[in-house]
Amino acid sequence: VHPNVSQGCQGGCATCSDYNGCLSCKPRLFFVLERIGMKQIGVCLSSCPSGYYGTRYPDINKCAKCKADCDTCFTRNFCTKCKSGFYLHSGKCLEKCPDGLEANNHTMECTSIVH
Amino acid sequence: AEPGAAPSCPAQCHCEEDGIVLSVDCSELGLTAVPTNLSPLTAYLDLSMNNISQLQPSAFRHLRFLEELRLSGNQISSIPGEAFSGLYSLKILMLQNNQLSRIPAEALRDLPNLQSLRLDANLISVVPEQSFEGLLSLRHLWLDDNALTEIPVRALNHLPALQAMTLALNQIWHIPDFAFQNLSSLVVLHLHNNRIQSLGANGFDGLHNLETLDLNYNELLEFPGAIRTLGRLQELGFHNNNIKAIPENAFVGNPLLQTIHFYDNPIQFVGQSAFQYLPKLHTLSLNGATDIREFPDLKGTTSLEVLTLTRAGIHLLPRGMCQQLPSLRVLELSHNKIEDLPSFHRCQRLEELGLQHNRIHEIRADTFVQLLALRSIDLSWNAIHFIHPNAFVTLHSLTKLDLTDNQLATLPLDGLGGLTHLKLQGNPALAEPFAKESFPKMRVLEVPYAYQCCAYGSCSGFFKVSNQWEAEDMSPEDEDLHKRTLEFFPGHADNHYDLDADDLQLDLEESKLHPTIQCSPSPGPFKPCDHLFESW
Repeated sequence: VHPNVSQGCQGGCATCSDYNGCLSCKPRLFFVLERIGMKQIGVCLSSCPSGYYGTRYPDINKCAKCKADCDTCFTRNFCTKCKSGFYLHSGKCLEKCPDGLEANNHTMECTSIVH
Repeated sequence: AEPGAAPSCPAQCHCEEDGIVLSVDCSELGLTAVPTNLSPLTAYLDLSMNNISQLQPSAFRHLRFLEELRLSGNQISSIPGEAFSGLYSLKILMLQNNQLSRIPAEALRDLPNLQSLRLDANLISVVPEQSFEGLLSLRHLWLDDNALTEIPVRALNHLPALQAMTLALNQIWHIPDFAFQNLSSLVVLHLHNNRIQSLGANGFDGLHNLETLDLNYNELLEFPGAIRTLGRLQELGFHNNNIKAIPENAFVGNPLLQTIHFYDNPIQFVGQSAFQYLPKLHTLSLNGATDIREFPDLKGTTSLEVLTLTRAGIHLLPRGMCQQLPSLRVLELSHNKIEDLPSFHRCQRLEELGLQHNRIHEIRADTFVQLLALRSIDLSWNAIHFIHPNAFVTLHSLTKLDLTDNQLATLPLDGLGGLTHLKLQGNPALAEPFAKESFPKMRVLEVPYAYQCCAYGSCSGFFKVSNQWEAEDMSPEDEDLHKRTLEFFPGHADNHYDLDADDLQLDLEESKLHPTIQCSPSPGPFKPCDHLFESW
C-alpha cells in the first residue's frame, strides 16, 4: 500500500489519504467525489447525494446524476421528486399535466380528477 | 440552530429549522441508539452511518410530522413490530446497508403514506407474504444486493401503487408465470446481476405500464419471449446472457422500444423480421452473429440512426436499404463478406460509414453520391482495385478516408480537398507522389512509400542531415531544422483512430508549430527515400 495511504480511516472508507479523503469504500457503500473549493475528496455513503441515484454492481456501487428537472430519482429516466416548477407523473417531470389529470400544487404531482 | 444549542436538538446532531418543522442530522456520530430527546416537530431525521444495532419499540412514536427517516449504514439485524408505529406522515424510509435477513413485516404494517422503501444491501432471503400489506402508497422499492433466491411473488401482490422496483444483485434463477401480475403501475423493473436461466412464457403478464426492463448479466439461454405482453416497453436490456438466437417477430409486442442492449450474448441467429416495426428504435448493435447471412429487413424501423452489424456473414446489401433507414447517421458493417456496394444516395443523413474487412472490389460513381453529411469512410482491408473518378465529388463534408490494404494503383482526387486524415498504406501499386495542393487541410497522412511524405516538407534539409548522420557536427540552424523536421515526421500515426482522439490530436498540433502534417512512413536512415531518386 502506498505510504501516503492510511488504513485507519473514518466512516465508510476502506483506504484513505489525508489529502484525498476516501480512496476506496467498505463493501456495499457508494463512492462519491465531493468538491470542496478546488479540491475533490472521496467520501463513502450508504446513499447517493441529493440529485444523484445509485446503481449497485458486483464490484462497485456508483452514483450518477438525475436529469436536470429532477431532484431525486430511482434511475436517470425515473424521477421520484421533481424540481420546483415541475409536476411529477409516473417518474416524469412535466411542466403541464397530461389531459385527464389535474395539477396538485401542494404535492406538485399530477393526480386523477376527483368528480 | 447550532448543534446542541436548542433543547430539542440532540447532542452532537445538527438541526435546521424549515418553517415550523425541523431537519435533524445525526449521521456519522458513532451513535449506538436512537436519541431520545427528538423534537415532535422533526420532519427529517438522518441517523445513517452510525453503530445502531437495535431500535427501541416506540423510538419514533411521537414524531407525527416525520416524513423521511434514514437508518442506513448501521448494524440493524431485526426490527421490533412497533418500531415505526405512529409515523403516519412517513414517506421515505431508508434501511439499506444493514444486517436484516428478513423483511421486518410487522414493523412495516402501519405506514399508510410510505412511498419509498430502501432495503438494499442487507442479507434478506425471506420475504413473508404479508411483508408489504399495509403499504398502499408505496411507489419505489429497493431490494437489490440481498440474498433472494426467488421472486417474492405473493408479497408483491399487495403493491398496487408500485412504480419502480429493483431486485438486482440477488440469486434469483427463475421468473415464474404471473410473477408480477398485480403490479399494473410498475414502470421500472431491474433484475440485473441475478442467475436467471428460465422465464415463464407469461412471466411478465400484468405489467401493462412497464417502460424499462433490465435483465442484463443473467444466464438466460432463450430469448425472453415473455416480453411480448409489455406494450409500453421503451428500454430493454439483456446483454451479458447466454442467448444464441433472436427469433422472428421478436419485438412484435413492443412497438415503443427506443433502446435494446443485447451485446455479449453468443447470438448466432437473428430472424429476418426480428427488428421490424420498431419506429422509435434509434440504435441497433449486432456483433458476431455469424449465422446472419442476409441484411435484416428493417421495414417500419424508420428512426434508426446507428446500425452496427459486424462480424456476421452478410454478402449483399439490399438495394432498398436506405429507403427503410432515412435517419441513418452511422452504418458500421465491418468484418462481413460484402463484395458489391449499392448506391447509398438515399441515406441522406449518413455521417460515418464503416466497411472495413469486407470483399469490396470497386467504388462506382453513384456509390456515395449526394451524401453531403458523410464525414468518415473506412474501406480498409478490402480488394478495391478501381474507384470511379467522380466517386467522391459530392462528399463536401468528408474529412476521413481509410483505404489501407486494398489494390489501388491510382486515387481520384476530386472531392478529397477537405480531407484531414487519409490512409493509403498497403496499396503497393499506388506509387504516384501527391501534390501538397491536393490536400490543403491534411493533418494525418499514411502513404505506401516514404518519398510520398516528402511532398509535405523540406525534404532537402532532411537529406542534408540524413547524408551526414553526424548529429554533433550540426550547426545551430541545422539542429533547429532537424528538430522541426523530426517533429514533422514524429513516426507512424496511430492506425486505430476515432473521432474524439483525433480532434484532440488536432488541437495539440495547433498549439505546436503551425500547422504540421503527420505523414508516415517517415523517411529515415533505412528508408532514405531511394524511391525518390528513381521516380524523379
